[in-house]
Amino acid sequence: MAAPVLALRGVSKSFGMTQALTDMSVVLFPGEVHAIVGENGAGKSTMIKIMTGVHQPTAGAVEVDGSPVSFAGTREARIAGVAAIYQEPMVFPDLDVAENIFISATDQGLVVRKGEMRERARKLIDRIGMRLDPDRIASGLTLAEQQAVEIARALSQDVRVLIMDEPTASLSAHEAGELRRIARTLAGQGVAVVYISHRLEEIFEVAHRVTVIRDGAHISTKPVAEVTPDGLISDMVGREVGNFFAKAPSTKRDEVILSVEGLDCEDIFRGVTFDLHRGEVLAFAGLIGARRTDVALSLFGIRPATGGTVRYKGEVVRFARPAEAIAAGIAYVSEDRRKLGLAMPMPIFANMSLATLGNLLSPMGIIDRRREREVAEAYRKRLNIRTPDVDMAVGMLSGGNQQKVMLAKWLEMKPDLLIFDEPTRGIDVGAKAEVHDLIRAFAAEGGAVIVISSDLPEVLAMGDRIVVMREGRQMGVLSHEGATQESVMRLALGQQEAA
Amino acid sequence: MDRMSPQTLRTLALLAVLALTVAFFASQIENYFNARLFNRISSSVAIMALIACGQTLVILTRNIDLSIGSVVGFTAFATGNMVSGNPDINPVLLALYAMVVGAGFGVVNGLLVAYARVPAIIVTLATMAIFRSLLVEYSDAKSITSDALPQWLVEFPNTPLFEIGGVEFRAAFVTAVLVVLAVHVILTRFRPARRLFAVGSNPEAAEMAGIDLRKTVFVAFVAAGALAGLAGFMFLARFGNITVVAGLGFELKSVAAAVVGGVAIFGGSGSVIGALIGAILVDLIDTSLVRWPLVTEFWREAVLGMLILTAVAVDQILGRRLLAMRIRREKRKREGAQ
Repeated sequence: MAAPVLALRGVSKSFGMTQALTDMSVVLFPGEVHAIVGENGAGKSTMIKIMTGVHQPTAGAVEVDGSPVSFAGTREARIAGVAAIYQEPMVFPDLDVAENIFISATDQGLVVRKGEMRERARKLIDRIGMRLDPDRIASGLTLAEQQAVEIARALSQDVRVLIMDEPTASLSAHEAGELRRIARTLAGQGVAVVYISHRLEEIFEVAHRVTVIRDGAHISTKPVAEVTPDGLISDMVGREVGNFFAKAPSTKRDEVILSVEGLDCEDIFRGVTFDLHRGEVLAFAGLIGARRTDVALSLFGIRPATGGTVRYKGEVVRFARPAEAIAAGIAYVSEDRRKLGLAMPMPIFANMSLATLGNLLSPMGIIDRRREREVAEAYRKRLNIRTPDVDMAVGMLSGGNQQKVMLAKWLEMKPDLLIFDEPTRGIDVGAKAEVHDLIRAFAAEGGAVIVISSDLPEVLAMGDRIVVMREGRQMGVLSHEGATQESVMRLALGQQEAA
Repeated sequence: MDRMSPQTLRTLALLAVLALTVAFFASQIENYFNARLFNRISSSVAIMALIACGQTLVILTRNIDLSIGSVVGFTAFATGNMVSGNPDINPVLLALYAMVVGAGFGVVNGLLVAYARVPAIIVTLATMAIFRSLLVEYSDAKSITSDALPQWLVEFPNTPLFEIGGVEFRAAFVTAVLVVLAVHVILTRFRPARRLFAVGSNPEAAEMAGIDLRKTVFVAFVAAGALAGLAGFMFLARFGNITVVAGLGFELKSVAAAVVGGVAIFGGSGSVIGALIGAILVDLIDTSLVRWPLVTEFWREAVLGMLILTAVAVDQILGRRLLAMRIRREKRKREGAQ
């Protein structure tokens, strides 16, 4: 085999206290399609960002043609011939195809020669085997065409390593096939293609070799011919037992509070069907792009469903706005604390009372500050929020404590149904266990809970039952007893049809 | 090329609107359409075209320059001061002086927006007031009067360069059009200028493509300042009398001209030719309404406001329709191919 074009040698990367990559080594050869697989949060993105110069490793080395390099930014990586395309293509909607391709070209002098630029664009597009008019404005292109433009842009700069990060996640089957063909074509021309995908069947079709990473560490690199889907899955999830949280006993009651049947929302998700009892915790598992959050947003009235029925407390409901869902006793705790959950500069007590201010008004319609504070103080004790007082700005707290403030805000509403999206993302293990206990306690008092989580151990620890989704489809519902990391992952990867 | 680019289409549509407006007023006002109309409009457009051109450069990058009117006022005064102190100064040098002073203000705006990362609307709202106060301080509340100016400068705007069928093309207007054309050529043919469009179109992608966002935005503000400076020079030449309120309100008129001329307010698309036609249209309507007895003075501003709203609405609707049409056509084509 030829000499490697790009290599990571023992690369580690940490962000503050979080260790994203540990001693990672991967070697890329020209002419190969090298697939990289791993769960959400396994470290794929960090790895790409190091290869493309977005991040710099804390330890270890990046080598190009055998000599260590240090990319100060994406620009240096580009000059060395490393480029990436993402699920969401980076195009300029107001410019045409040719202008998009040559936007960062530096070798063509100061004057734009339209005809020549168009010709060169056409040649590059031909090289990847697409049919695309160089004069078209980018805003009218399909996703696959936009990606082709990005690939052509990389080619115009003599790319030697092309990283494709989930390029097919939002594409139709036909377009995805098109893109895989491009990946193969480029490899045939001597480019090293890094192919990241959650679709295992795709990897078996396109890749020469496949690397599995887990929890920021390298697990295995093998030729595709030597691996099986089951082998890959067990490499992806094969965690030490010590990392698991113990599952608390179910407090499920007989009464069905929520019954969802055949829920559709445009092209986003289809046929979601499940029952939820009082006292039960239902976990939603799946990989990024499984559309679990969209189901929650639909139940909460943010993006109303377009088909199917939702029965809530025995009645068919159709919430068109979040206010209606809240009035019916549904709380949704967003996965994005910063954007949708908390007002960071505001004090803790004000954040907690945000959703329930109506209860705190005096007869004159003025906020009862004293009671607002008492309520906040009570939650601080009950949820063990570590802060000197409730006047502190929420932004000053740690992630785990911020999460508890969010939980307090919604618990104060005394909901019957709590939808918790990624309850423990980015918080430490101790705080994780505490949040889990709080969710359990809420269920034990008769509340119903939906937990959306990308963290497999969490899904297994929290879910009395587990709904697994994949690309907008419900793949199956597993009981806690029947669920293992492998069985959940197999459904999430579409390696097994719904039972 | 087998079809017109959207930009060309837009420019043609604007010209059509311009023609319709003239036809409308010609039917309403006696003795409307003649050489005097052209002369009157062309001499005031000469100033606004330059300002709108600079404003367009800034808007293309998803920013806005509200200080531009104050810059015009200040440079007009500073240039007047310069020429009354040195009556023998070379005209080209004087114009350059105006541009350098204007660019200086652009540097201040550019540094604050691009490098200190303060939103442009806040920066330029503040500098609009600050630059105006500087003018009051610098001028010591005195005015420049036309007696202090050399003869060539006062005559410059009205010097006819050539004549077509009784319509005079005067020096100021021709200069402004030439400058706009030059900027247009630079924007469309000069490779680094493409960055302005890229940054306004998709800043994230621009960053990924290795474009220096900050430098690009900075340059746009400096160029807008320089063009406003040149406009200040024209202002001085046209009016002769410069007080501390010179150029007041130009910032909004320049935004209006750009927007009416099809420059997308959220950046990324538009042309300075469009802004020029927009400036002509705004001015044409403004001047014509004065002579249209049906509209009282109080309603003139409102009509102008409605024009801006209509222009933006039509642009949005047309843009969306065209896009939908194209997508449908592509879909059909693809289905046909399979």
